[in-house]
Amino acid sequence: MVFGISFMEYAWLIPLFPVIAFVVVGFFGNKFKEGGGAIAIGSAVIAFALSALVAYEFFTGSGDAFAPEPFKWLAFGKYELNFGIYIDSLTCIMMLFASFISLLIFIYSIGYMHGEGKRKRRYYAEIALFLAGMLGLVLSSNYFEMFIFWEIMGVCSYLLIGFWAFRHPEGDEASVKAASAAKKAFLVTRLGDVCFMAGLFVLLWAFTSLDFTVLFDPANMATVDTGVIMLGALLLFGGVIGKSAQFPLQDWLPDAMAGPTTVSALIHAATMVKAGVYLVARSYPLFIQSAEVMLVVALIGGITAFIAATMALNNMNLKRVLAYSTISQLGYMILALGAGGYIIATEMAHGDVEATVGYTAGVFHMMNHAFFKALLFMCAGSVIHAVGTEDMRRMGGLSKKMRITSLTMLIGCLSIAGFPFLSGFWSKDMILEAVMEPSSLGLEGQIFMLLFVLALITAFMTAFYMFRLWFLTFKGKPRDASIHCHGESPKSMTMPLMILSVFAVGSGFLIFLGLNDIITFSVISGDFVVGGHGHTPGHILDAILTNVWTYVSLAVALIGILLAYLIYARGSLDPSRLTASGKSRLYRFLAARYFFPQLYDQISWKLGYSVAKGVDYVDKNMIDGTVNGLANSVVGSSGSLRKMQTGNVRDYLMYMAVGLISAVIVLYVLVTTGGL
Amino acid sequence: MIPIELFILLSAMLFSVGLIGMLTKKNAIVILMCIEIMLNAANINFIAFAATYPAAPLAHIFVITAITVAAAEVGVGIAILLHAYKTRKTTNIDELTSLRW
Repeated sequence: MVFGISFMEYAWLIPLFPVIAFVVVGFFGNKFKEGGGAIAIGSAVIAFALSALVAYEFFTGSGDAFAPEPFKWLAFGKYELNFGIYIDSLTCIMMLFASFISLLIFIYSIGYMHGEGKRKRRYYAEIALFLAGMLGLVLSSNYFEMFIFWEIMGVCSYLLIGFWAFRHPEGDEASVKAASAAKKAFLVTRLGDVCFMAGLFVLLWAFTSLDFTVLFDPANMATVDTGVIMLGALLLFGGVIGKSAQFPLQDWLPDAMAGPTTVSALIHAATMVKAGVYLVARSYPLFIQSAEVMLVVALIGGITAFIAATMALNNMNLKRVLAYSTISQLGYMILALGAGGYIIATEMAHGDVEATVGYTAGVFHMMNHAFFKALLFMCAGSVIHAVGTEDMRRMGGLSKKMRITSLTMLIGCLSIAGFPFLSGFWSKDMILEAVMEPSSLGLEGQIFMLLFVLALITAFMTAFYMFRLWFLTFKGKPRDASIHCHGESPKSMTMPLMILSVFAVGSGFLIFLGLNDIITFSVISGDFVVGGHGHTPGHILDAILTNVWTYVSLAVALIGILLAYLIYARGSLDPSRLTASGKSRLYRFLAARYFFPQLYDQISWKLGYSVAKGVDYVDKNMIDGTVNGLANSVVGSSGSLRKMQTGNVRDYLMYMAVGLISAVIVLYVLVTTGGL
Repeated sequence: MIPIELFILLSAMLFSVGLIGMLTKKNAIVILMCIEIMLNAANINFIAFAATYPAAPLAHIFVITAITVAAAEVGVGIAILLHAYKTRKTTNIDELTSLRW
């Protein structure tokens, strides 16, 4: 209770305000200043304030998940679909940082999108809907409701990535690219969504409901075959692979950079890709039912983290590097969740399982990543806004002209690279610890050992490519005389940067200030408990600081930074020696993104097109053939029957008489032969 | 007492005569007369059964009703035919086709 009102009862208002903003801005945006941007910001403020009140009420309450009786929406037979809200500590954390970061991005947009003219209306309407989708998703009380908001976000990402599809500031070619990037994002995530939907069917069939309260009840789970739960969980994870851009569907995210930078920040930090990680964290009770599922989750996460980091190594596009780093960091989160879940899954048979560090690390990193990735993207946006290009080869020496941007971006880079005591350091080391944990478990343990090595190499590469980006952009001499820097960006853009950099430094300390008890997952007497009691701050600090691997990961990160410094700032190492001036096989392999775009093309052309042809054949010949054949036979028989209608009364009378007589004869025969 | 089979036979023969006349004749007046024959064949049938089973008085009522309806029908039919003859100068039903498709 806050001010005597139970705000949790009204939590459904949180996504409602952005929806209202969407409608108002969408229809009347141009009647307001800045295309209705203030309305979108206002809705985000209200959403954030309400989220804060709800979260405050939840954390001062009993700590049990708040799930009021849902509104019955559809019921068919024993199956039912509901609409409701479900609040636990994960929900609170998610909606707090989603609405807060969205709010900062909205404010930043006022400066960044200033020159867009009338089309700002569309932009502000769509980002408001995007926020509504994310908030609705985290508040959903069942998978079906979640799926609806999930799809709303899919549509919004499509619209926003393709925002410049009609008129791109960099010319027509770029606008064509934006259009195809939007289409790619939509179609590739759609592939995951089909899996998600199939998972929903499986779960609905097994549980007759999709409510979290029903699905996460151990009593209900015991009645369902574990194989079915495993199948459902794997299919749900297919949705995550699409939405969170995991291997092998990771390729849409770098292309999605064709949209405005604010949209990239929104997609990467606050919404969209975080929804996938959230889905894994939310579905933990289902996922931990089998260790195999968790092994798959961890493997996909580890592979994604590694290959995305390698692709970032030689990319020259400022935003693309950040996109790859997002994919890589998302891989980290999935890896941590998978490793933690694997421990629970294997230990659950022996009784209660304490709060696992994997779950905490994954969610913690998701939150930290939201802060520093939003910061990095908005800094990149500020740079692009000032110099008008995304190509790092044409930048350089910008730190003198853009002091605030270069400083805040340095903080972001240090944070993501895991520099000590910045937010990325804590969560990344927790992740490494989480991956290390199951490595003593027999044969699968060796897989986790391998994943740990991959994660460690990824940590090195992350530090390297982030500082490569920073040195290329801000240090050295300006490399292209034709690029004119307008100087520092307006206040509405630098203010959010400064606020976010505070969080990029400090959000990691939240784990010692109570967050450790909030983002936990434990199994207590067969029940799944989110929130409650986790490791004590002292234990976490102890585990991180006494672990030798912490210092190893710190060392590789520092080596990465040093290497980037030597190559790109001092120039004492020539990168072209390593890559044979960009001609080496590995360089080209990475630049071609492991040939994933070609793979997608091949699959969609060869497989998709031949399937489409087959379907076309069946449609034209078998389905149409049947229908047409039936129709023709009806037409033919009716044509011959029609001739009986002469219009001559005596003919009809004749038929009647003949019928009567034959009926009499038949009756007579039947009676006399005793058949009747 | 004449056995009922003879009445039924008579009725069947009358009905057949009427039916054949209706199917073969072209003059509308003859067709009307054939219809009358068929109606009366049915009436004979009714009366014969009524005489054999006197407990059921309903048959008489049917017959009286049928005669009444037949009278009305012939009145209307002949009126139509008279009018048709006045305008078309024929009672041949094969030529009275202007209302047919």
